[in-house]
Amino acid sequence: MFGEYELNKEIKEDGIEIKIDGRGKVKNYYRKCKNEEVRKVVAAKEGKLFVVPVEPVNLPKIGIAEHLLIELEEPYIIEPFISDSFYLKFPVEIGVFLVDKKDVERIDIFTQTKQKYTLYGSPENGIICRWWKSAIYEDKPEVKKLEEGIMKVDIKNEYREWVEIKKLVFRAFDMKIFYNSHAYMHSYVTIHKKTMAETAFEGRKPKDMKKSIDIYEAKGIKKLEKKFVMEWGL
Amino acid sequence: MNLQGEIIKVLNHEITKGVTILDIFIFIIIVAVSVIIAKIVRLNVRRALKEKVPKTTLVTIEKIVYYTIIIFGFIIAIPYIGFSLSGLLVAGGIAGIVIGLATQTVISNLISGLFLMAEKPIQIGDGVSIGDIGGVVKDIRVLSTTIRTWDGIYVRIPNEKVFTSSIYNYNAHAARRFEYKIGIAYKSDADKAIEVIKKLLEEHPFILKEPAPQIFVEELADSSVNLTVKIWAPSSEWYGVKTEMLWKIKVALEKAGIEIPFPQLVIWKGGED
Repeated sequence: MFGEYELNKEIKEDGIEIKIDGRGKVKNYYRKCKNEEVRKVVAAKEGKLFVVPVEPVNLPKIGIAEHLLIELEEPYIIEPFISDSFYLKFPVEIGVFLVDKKDVERIDIFTQTKQKYTLYGSPENGIICRWWKSAIYEDKPEVKKLEEGIMKVDIKNEYREWVEIKKLVFRAFDMKIFYNSHAYMHSYVTIHKKTMAETAFEGRKPKDMKKSIDIYEAKGIKKLEKKFVMEWGL
Repeated sequence: MNLQGEIIKVLNHEITKGVTILDIFIFIIIVAVSVIIAKIVRLNVRRALKEKVPKTTLVTIEKIVYYTIIIFGFIIAIPYIGFSLSGLLVAGGIAGIVIGLATQTVISNLISGLFLMAEKPIQIGDGVSIGDIGGVVKDIRVLSTTIRTWDGIYVRIPNEKVFTSSIYNYNAHAARRFEYKIGIAYKSDADKAIEVIKKLLEEHPFILKEPAPQIFVEELADSSVNLTVKIWAPSSEWYGVKTEMLWKIKVALEKAGIEIPFPQLVIWKGGED
């Protein structure tokens, strides 16, 4: 499903159907996912169609949240001053982009996953996050490729005490998503206090993977902040 | 040499008592330079603060900086055209009192506006109630705040009124709570009703996972067992969720065989045991 296509293509996989066709410059775009259908008319001479995983905070409405909160199925407890690595699953949202030499335009976003939001922090100071629950995996887990992605988490406890973690919050703005047949992210978590940690992402492209289109970069937004501070509990 | 002498003679020519053409030139140059400096400073202030302060505050700061520099230049220049600064200050003082009395409301609104911009109880785009007016804040200016009411009417509220009124800001916090009261029949199973509602709320994306919805029996009323449903939703979405969910709860309860009763009264005839 994920990849780069000419503007004359039909893709069908795991209940998702994407079709763009037509003669000359005018093309018809059609997408079906679950019971939702989208039709659009595209006028394009050149250009390509990209179907890629995007930051999972856009549905059902863009602008509600800018963070992803992954609740751990079981609390994770880490010893003082050690590092560890594990894997999580994250929800996949699929973005369809039209790309030419000068511009990138998102024309569609959809998902097969359940969407749910939550509050991280207090109602006065907290933030709305896309909610997701994941188990902790020692090795790369098997995923439903169009529903779940794999996130590697490198965690480091810099605090002098044992720390228990029930959730991790990541800022969509910082995310670096890669893909081959599935979506992949590599995150870093640094624990500073019993209730405070920093989350960030690795930007280097893993071997045999491609970098996804960054919605924020596509919109021309400069990325300055690199880390998110979880200050309202772990 | 002769021409130079003529120019000096013209420049030193007195127009009125003690004011020469040269003085007028100096006055114009000082004012012009202060306007140019004010424009340059305003541009730099705009560039420096563009990303750091809201647009409305930036406009106010720009205006204050711009006019302060021009007034300062004007004060430096004015003695050249024969006005004594001390006399001007006395005259300005008297004029200030007169203008102050005449523009008391304007000044009050201006100061309230500056306090509103500093305190920021409301921001452009927030859903608010100010006194008895509710709507979306469209603009916060120095003298007034404009609101588009929920039914689309433009309202301009003087800042003094905004500042002295109770302000309810529905978007100040990330999430807000609303609640429903739902009565079910005495013969219905309240635990089952709670389970049905809980399951329904779980399906809605904007009904927040945390803080979790609360559903409980609130009252054993005359005609029904009253349940209270308390739901947290993102502040930007709560109204849509509230209008959507009540009917869905009613449909889900009926589908599960839980009756929502009309008000009723059981009458016992006299003589019956």
